[in-house]
This record gives sequence, C-alpha cells and structure tokens, in this order.
Amino acid sequence: MVKTNTVLQVENYSLAYDVKGGAVQVLNGIDLMIRRGEILGLVGESGSGKSSMASAIMRHLAGNARENDGSIWLGETDLRTQSEHQMSAIRGRRVSMVFQDPATSLNPTLRLGEQLAEVLIRHQNLTMAQAWAEGEARLAHVGLKTPREMMQRMPHEVSGGEKQRVVIATAFACNPELIIFDEPTTALDVITARQILDLFAALQQETGVASLYISHDLALLSQTADRVAVLQKGMIVEEGETGTLFRAPQHAYTQTLIAAAPQPERRLVQPLDRAAKPLVSVRDVTVNYGRKSLLDSLLRRDFAPVVGSRAVTLDLRPGEVLGIVGESGSGKSTLAKAMTGLNRFEGLIEFDGKPVRGLSDMDANYRRDVQIIFQHPDASLNPRQRISEILARPVKLYGKGDGSVRERIVAMLERVRLPASYIDRYPHELSGGEKQRIAIARAFLSNPRLVICDEITSALDVSVQASVIELLMELHRDTGAAYVFITHDINLVRQIAHRIAVMYRGDLVEIADAERIADADRAPYTRKLLEAVTPPASTHSA
Amino acid sequence: MTDFLGRLLRSPQGALGCLVVGLILIAVIFGPYLTHYGPEHMSPLARYKSPSAEHWLGTDQYGRDIFSRLLDGARSTVLLAVVATVIGTLGGAIIGTGSAYLGGRADEFIMRTNDAVMAIPSLLMALMVVSLLGSNSLNALLAIAIAFMPSMARISRSVALTVRKQDYVSAAIARGEGATYIVLREMLPNVIAPIVVEMTIRVSFAVMLFATLSFLGLGAQPPATDWGLMVSEARQYLHRSYWILLWPSAAIALTAIGFNLLGDGLRDALNPRT
Amino acid sequence: MSASYILKRIALIFYTLFVVSILVFGITQILPADAAVMMLGENATQGALAALRDQMGLNDPIWLQYLHWAGGVVQGDFGTSLRTGQTVGPALFSALGTSLTLAVLALALMLILAVPMGILAAVRRGKLSDLVVGFLSYIGVSLPEFVTATLAVVLVADLWGLLPPAGYIPLSEDFWGGMQRLILPVCVASVMMIAHVSRMVRSELVDVMHTDYIRAARLKGLTRRRVLFRHGLRNALLPTITIVALDVGYLLGGIIVVEEIFSIPGIGRSLMSAIQARDLPVIQAGVMIMAATYSIVNFAADLMYAWLDKRIQYD
Repeated sequence: MVKTNTVLQVENYSLAYDVKGGAVQVLNGIDLMIRRGEILGLVGESGSGKSSMASAIMRHLAGNARENDGSIWLGETDLRTQSEHQMSAIRGRRVSMVFQDPATSLNPTLRLGEQLAEVLIRHQNLTMAQAWAEGEARLAHVGLKTPREMMQRMPHEVSGGEKQRVVIATAFACNPELIIFDEPTTALDVITARQILDLFAALQQETGVASLYISHDLALLSQTADRVAVLQKGMIVEEGETGTLFRAPQHAYTQTLIAAAPQPERRLVQPLDRAAKPLVSVRDVTVNYGRKSLLDSLLRRDFAPVVGSRAVTLDLRPGEVLGIVGESGSGKSTLAKAMTGLNRFEGLIEFDGKPVRGLSDMDANYRRDVQIIFQHPDASLNPRQRISEILARPVKLYGKGDGSVRERIVAMLERVRLPASYIDRYPHELSGGEKQRIAIARAFLSNPRLVICDEITSALDVSVQASVIELLMELHRDTGAAYVFITHDINLVRQIAHRIAVMYRGDLVEIADAERIADADRAPYTRKLLEAVTPPASTHSA
Repeated sequence: MTDFLGRLLRSPQGALGCLVVGLILIAVIFGPYLTHYGPEHMSPLARYKSPSAEHWLGTDQYGRDIFSRLLDGARSTVLLAVVATVIGTLGGAIIGTGSAYLGGRADEFIMRTNDAVMAIPSLLMALMVVSLLGSNSLNALLAIAIAFMPSMARISRSVALTVRKQDYVSAAIARGEGATYIVLREMLPNVIAPIVVEMTIRVSFAVMLFATLSFLGLGAQPPATDWGLMVSEARQYLHRSYWILLWPSAAIALTAIGFNLLGDGLRDALNPRT
Repeated sequence: MSASYILKRIALIFYTLFVVSILVFGITQILPADAAVMMLGENATQGALAALRDQMGLNDPIWLQYLHWAGGVVQGDFGTSLRTGQTVGPALFSALGTSLTLAVLALALMLILAVPMGILAAVRRGKLSDLVVGFLSYIGVSLPEFVTATLAVVLVADLWGLLPPAGYIPLSEDFWGGMQRLILPVCVASVMMIAHVSRMVRSELVDVMHTDYIRAARLKGLTRRRVLFRHGLRNALLPTITIVALDVGYLLGGIIVVEEIFSIPGIGRSLMSAIQARDLPVIQAGVMIMAATYSIVNFAADLMYAWLDKRIQYD
C-alpha cells in the first residue's frame, strides 16, 4: 500500500486530549504524504494542531492523548505499532527534528560538541573520538567557521544563529529519511533567519531528505515548500502545489490567511501633511544601562556601561506614523522606554515645543499625551484587576470627556470592538487578541497625541494581527494621534508607516520614507535587512 | 472569592490543609467547651491511664486529662505561633519591600546586612532573644517574630522586585500614576499572594520553634499546657505511659502538616492564571 | 568566575561576621546579668565587685568594650568563660569538631537519601512512589527535632534496646562505639533536611523534565537513562546546591537540640548551657563560630555553583 518513494504517509489520523469534562479534539482526519526530496509546508495559527502533528509523527505524545485508528507510516515502518524502545532507535536516526528556539532546545550545561556527538554515538555506534571528529566535520558542513572551537563551546557562548546551525547539524547527522522543522526561524532575527533558510535549502538540495516544514508564516512557506497544507482547528482545509495554492486559494480560510499577511505595496495610511512643525523632537538621546559598582570605584577601574541607545536624533510630525525596525538588542524598545519615562536618558526630548530632559519634566499633560502599548498584554494588564478598573484609570487620571466613567469605558470597548459585557471580566478570561484590544483601549481613553506601540502585534496570530492593525489604523484616522510603531516585521511597517527608522546595536542607522525604504541608495545595513525579508506570499506568485 | 475557595478545595493539599487547620481552629476557639475536665484538674487516682471513653486520650502523671490539656495548649501554642509569624512577616515585608523600593546602594546595604543576620540560625537567634528577655511565652513570641524577619525580608524583596519589573507597573508609571496608587493597587495585590503562601507555611515552623523553645525550658513554664513543654515533662514518665509523650508530639506534627498543606494548596489556588 | 568575584565573596564573609559580631555583642550587652556578680557570686562585697569591673573593663564605654572584644576575637582570643574561668577558644573549637562530625555525617546521610528519593518521585510522578515520598516529606518537615529525637530514643534505645540512648565517644578513640552512639543523632538531625531537599529535587527535576531541551534530547532518540542522568539531573541538581547550603543554617540550629537530648559535647550543647548560665563570652564566641561556619559553607556552595554552571557571568 505504501509507494516506494513515499517517506511519510499519514492517513485518517485524529488526536484528542482528555481534559476535565471531556476531550479536546486537536487533529481530525489528517491525511498527509511526503515523497523523497520533497518539502511539505504545514501552515496554521496557534492552536491549529500543527505542533501536535509533529509530536504524533515523533510518537512523543502526552499521557492524556487519545488517538483514533489512523495510520502513520515512515517508509515501510508503521510508526503506530512501534514500542517506545523501538521508537527511540528511530528518532534521530530515521526521523529527526529542528526546533523553534535554539536557546531553549539546547541543554544549557552541556558542550555543543557533546550534544551533537551523542546522536552519532547512539545511532551510528561510533566511539567518542570518532563521533567528535565526525561532529567537527558536520559543523563545518553547516557553515560554522571554527568547528573545532565550536564543539568545545557552551550554548550561552555562541549566537542564536550559530546555535540553530548546531541543531540543524544534529538533525542531519544520521542522514535521516524525514526531518520535521518546527518554526525553525521564528525565534531568530531577520538576517539570521534568512541565512538559516539558505542553509536549509542547500542541505535539503544536497541530501534529498523529505521535510515537513511547520510554520505560521505563509510568505515563508510560499518560498520554501513544494506543497503546502493549510491546517485550521485540527483539519486540513486545503492542500496543493505551492504556486497553485497561492495563485488560486480555494478555501475561505486560506484566502483570509493570504489576505492577512502584510503586503508593503498595500498602503494602509493616508499621506501626511509634510509642512507641519514637529510634535516630538528627539535630540541626542542616549540611554545607558548598569552602574558603577562599589568594587569598581574601590579598585579605580573604568566602568563600561552597556549602551541601550546612542545619541538618537529624530522628529515626529503630528499624525505621523514612524516605524522603528531593527533586530533584538538594537535599542528600539530602549528609546520607547526613555520617551515614556521608564528609562533614564541623557539628551533632550521636545514635546509640542516643551523641553523634557528627564522624569521630572514629564507632567500630567505629557503623560496624557504620550501613551505606550506593550508587546505582551498578559504582562501589561494587571492580572488581579478587572477590565473596569484597568480602563477606569486613564479616565480618572486625565478627566475630561462626557458621561460617567462606566459609560466612557463601554463606549471605548465598543470602539475596539469588544462586547460591553467584558467590563467585569479579568484579563485571563480573554484571548490574546482581546487582551491587546483592552491595552489599546486603555491607551486611547486618554485621547493621546502620541502612541508608542512596542511590538504590539508580534505575540499574535496572523489573522488576529491583521484585525488589530486594522483597528489601530482606524483609530489613527479618527483621532489623528501620531504613532511610534516598533516592530521587527518589515513588511508590516512598510504598510502602515510614513517613515521608517532603522536601528542597529544602539545606533540610528537612517530614517527613510516608507515608500523609498527599498531604494538602492539606502545604507548598507538597511539594504541587508530588506534583502533578508521574505516578500509577502501573494504578490509574487499572483 | 467563592471561585477561589473552590479552587483551594479542589486540590488535595488544599482540601486536607483546610480540614486540619479548620479542626485546629475549632480547638482553639471552642476548646474549653469540648471537654468537661479542666486542664489543671488532677485526679490522683487516675494517673497514667490509657485512652478510654472517660479520658479520650488518657491521663498524665498527675491524672490530668490529656485531651483537655491539648485543647488548652492549642490556644497558647497555635495562637502564639500565628501571631509571631504575622509579626515576623509584617516586619520582614516592610524591610524587604522598603529595600526593593529604595533600590541602588541602600538596597544592597540593607540586603547584605539582612543576609548577614541570616547567618545566625533562627533557633539560636530565638534562644538568645529569650535568654535576654527572660523565659516566658510572650518573649518566645517576640523571639520567633524577630528570628523570622530576615528570611521574610529576603522573600518579600524578591517578590516585590519581580512584580516591579512587570509591564503593568511600567504601564502605570508611564501613565503618570502616583506612587501610592502603584504600590497599593498595582503591586500590593500581586505581592501579597506569594507572601501569604510563605506565611502560612511559616506558621508550621513557628509552631515547631515554639514547642522547641518550651521543650528546652526557655518558653512557657510549668504548669502551662504548651505542647513542647508537655513532651518535655512526659520524658520522665515514659516507663509508666507512652501516651503522655505521643499525644502532644502528634498534635505538633499534625498542626505543622496542616499549615504546610494549606500553604501548598493556597499557592496553587492563588495563581489567577491557572 | 573571575578573581574579583571570589574577592567580593570573601569580603562578604567578613562583612557578615562584622554584622554578626555587632549584633551578638549588642544583645549580650543588654543582658541584665552583671559579669562581675556572676564571677564573684551574690555575696561579694561592693569593693571587690567594683575592682573586678574595673579590671574587666566593664566601666569603659560600650564601643571601647566592643573594640577590645573584637580585637581579641580577630587574634583568636574569645576571652574567658565566666562560669569555668577557662579560656573560651580551645574548648569551643574542640566542641566544634564534635559538632562538625555530626553535621557532616547528617549532610552525607541526607544526600544519600534525599537525592534518590527526589529523583524517584519525579520520575514516577503521580504514581504510588511519588505519593509515598511526598507523604513522608510532609511528615518529615512537620516533626521538630526534639520530637523525632524523643521518639527515636523511646523506640530504638528504650523499647528495642538496639542502640545506646545517649552519650558520646570520640571516633578517634573507639570508632565503632562512637559510631553506635552517633547513629541516632545523625538520623534525627537529617530528617528535616531529607524531607525538604527531596521535595526540592523532585520539583526541580519535574520542571527540568518539561523543558524544551529535554524534549529535544528525547526526540534525538537518546535512551531514557541518558536523558535523565546526563541531560536532566545535572540541571536539576544545580539549584539544589544553594538550597542545601541554606539548609545548613537550619541544621546548625537543629544540632543544638540534638546535642542537648543525646548529651553530645558539641558547640550546640556548650551554647545551650552558656545561654542558661548567661555566660556571655561563651555565647558570643559560639554564635560567631556558628555564623562563620554558615558563611563558609555558603561561600563554598556559591563557588561550586559558579564552577558547575558556567552560564552565570560574575563581575
């Protein structure tokens, strides 16, 4: 029944988890097939069951998992009939896995070399010395420049990209038939992610391994996968050859997903009046972390502070949307925190003509006019306060406006498209997207003139992200507030920003008009960043 | 609140802890009404009795009813332990959160000094304080409260610092909220839960420490009904009856287990996200 | 781990001892007892008392008395016992040796039992062995030393007559005789720590076994043994080092009770009798020695942790 060049065959597979008061269905009647040398993309949002699919194939399921009698074949082997003991000989040898975050998937207290060599020792019966030599060769093969040193290093001593290369080398170590990639670039910076994708493509080409590539990112899959299967709530709603699927998506959900992916050409923001004088001027703002310790002073040692951001200067006009992009640690959040009085800074911020040199200059008016929304609504909404108390604060603090506090809150809930009944709930009773809407509502209840959005969509699913952005742009049109939009999603920021500031290791590289950010005469780092970005799915194939 | 109680009672630790602590509270409040013997009522003719329908837990070397004495002892032992823990926790919480609030050099100085004080074992600290003030129950209470302060200060500080770093506190600062609001409404509700958990578990330590002080002759003095003292006195009459020794020991252990279980149950129930 | 970290850590030990010395000196100064009365007895003449006070420097201002005392301590001179009239140092240090024998044996017993118990409970989570270990540890942390000690003496020594009920023979004189007398005290002193540490090992290991890197190790096809011992245990035991070191403070307290009940001539017993007799120099010296022991153990634990866990960046 299994064709000779079929590596993975999943037929009518269903999976549920037993929980209090019933079972939760996570996978329903899944059929999947991957041939030798083929890359199957599996796309879905959080909770779609895509990670459970990986666990099911690896036969690594939680104790409360309930499966139907569907089948999972790896070549000629029926994986569902394998004992745990037999599976442990198959894992790592015939089917291996690359994980999302190399920072957590590598053991922090073991040398990288050991974590690679142990697979070779286990599955290839090599001695320690042989495995170590082979490991070095493998590391060289995944493009690590100093494999000998790399083997000796501990995970915390190398960069995220290097770690993921080690994980990939481990996955390829025993020349498996199938490799499952579970969002392997999601935790990495844009440029590093691009390099890892290139490495994946090269290795895949060379070895002809069958790959199951799991991702939430349609754009990425449109470039890497041969075929794509779309998973929604545990069911595969559509599957097809990549080009066809993106050109002519059949299922409504696929269409929504494609439409939700940010597309730089589809501008969501109105042109700006360029003549207006700046609302905010940031002049030479520098933020340093750390302080001189007592021992340092005693030993008369020089103290080298950690630079958060260095001498940043920029202007923001009323109603302007300024995007700030850069990799993690580039100082973009640091700047946001300085502007909201959460970090000490040197330099000058001028708001509406009034100078602000530090915390003491930020009076009630400034506080009302400048609002910040954080990345994780879980952390930014107090878990022990009801929505009513959370949203009442800005009203009570800044006063003004008509109607009672409760009426204004209800009106604002309606504006962010949440039911008025949410007013008496606690944050943990809401979904991620709903919580972020509450955070947005809190910011806009004070009628701000500047809203700083610090990665506010990066913890959300694509479709949720699209609706939050839509809401944000609607509020922008209605209130005329200026935005500082901090993100690592360059496609998104090109859609909504008037201008884009690029930051790198604490320095402001340049500021450019959003329409001109891809021009050839941009700074080298900007060009590198733009090249690394995966263009959105539909534009190129359409 | 009912929601919270439901969660507490659903976990096995929480339910058991509530049961045991509830029973102890009943003993503390209604103790004297549960028995018709006075704790100091001696019956020279009924000494060293084993448990019977008349004397549920038997009698001691003077023919006193052990059950009545245990109930009477519950008042002093448990009540004083709870009060000592509360005082120690409050003191520690003020030092710890104050230190976290001050931050910088002051924080470092306070915490280093606090850690230094922790180098003296709690029991030794309590012994010193009692020997300084004189051996009685009230001084033992003070001694235990003082002995608890450094470790509670350390815990409160780390909890306060964790909460201080949360985005909802940053959001409040960025909003321009006053320090009072931030401390009372944003931080306190989130700080209190873990401290209450720790405090509940500490009560069991306090009960044991109290009993130990009495046992060593530095807490309550005869003829008090302190459980530790009862164990200490019973040692001399072991050859006549084991029950005199067993019951107060069991009472101490049961109380300590009860508060330990309750603390663990509270820890799970107070987390609003699960 | 840099030299400056070690230096800082050592400076911290001295600061700790400084704070403890002020504290213990302060506390003993408020004591209502008068050292001169204690030495000469209640019936001494006023003249004799005044002369002695003068000679002992009791009329000096407090800070001078502290400096005098602390200066002696730095040179290893803890003064003379008010009760026995002998110098405090040598007697206390020999008592410390006895106590350390007891403490080290208790620690060893704890490690031998608590770590495997914790591992067993974590690996068989939710099964019978986990429940049994959990139940035992609840009982263990709820029994004060004086209760365990009394029960142990009643059962093992009085009722069954297996071991002598109390007493101490130095191991150097009669190893087996000494060991026989140490078995009960060591067991009693370690009960609380066994219960506490096994719980800690269990919860740390349960957490570690749920991490991504353990999942990754399993999905590499490694054997259960290797995943547990090479990948899991190491990371789970690291935080336990710190917990054990902090528990040493508790152990030192527990030893006071254990030595008292089993009549072991250790530092705890010396302290107990000094406290009862209000023998200030002995109390001061005993507390200082206990605090120093605790500080040094924690220093060692920190170094060990830093050496084992190279992730931590020390400045």
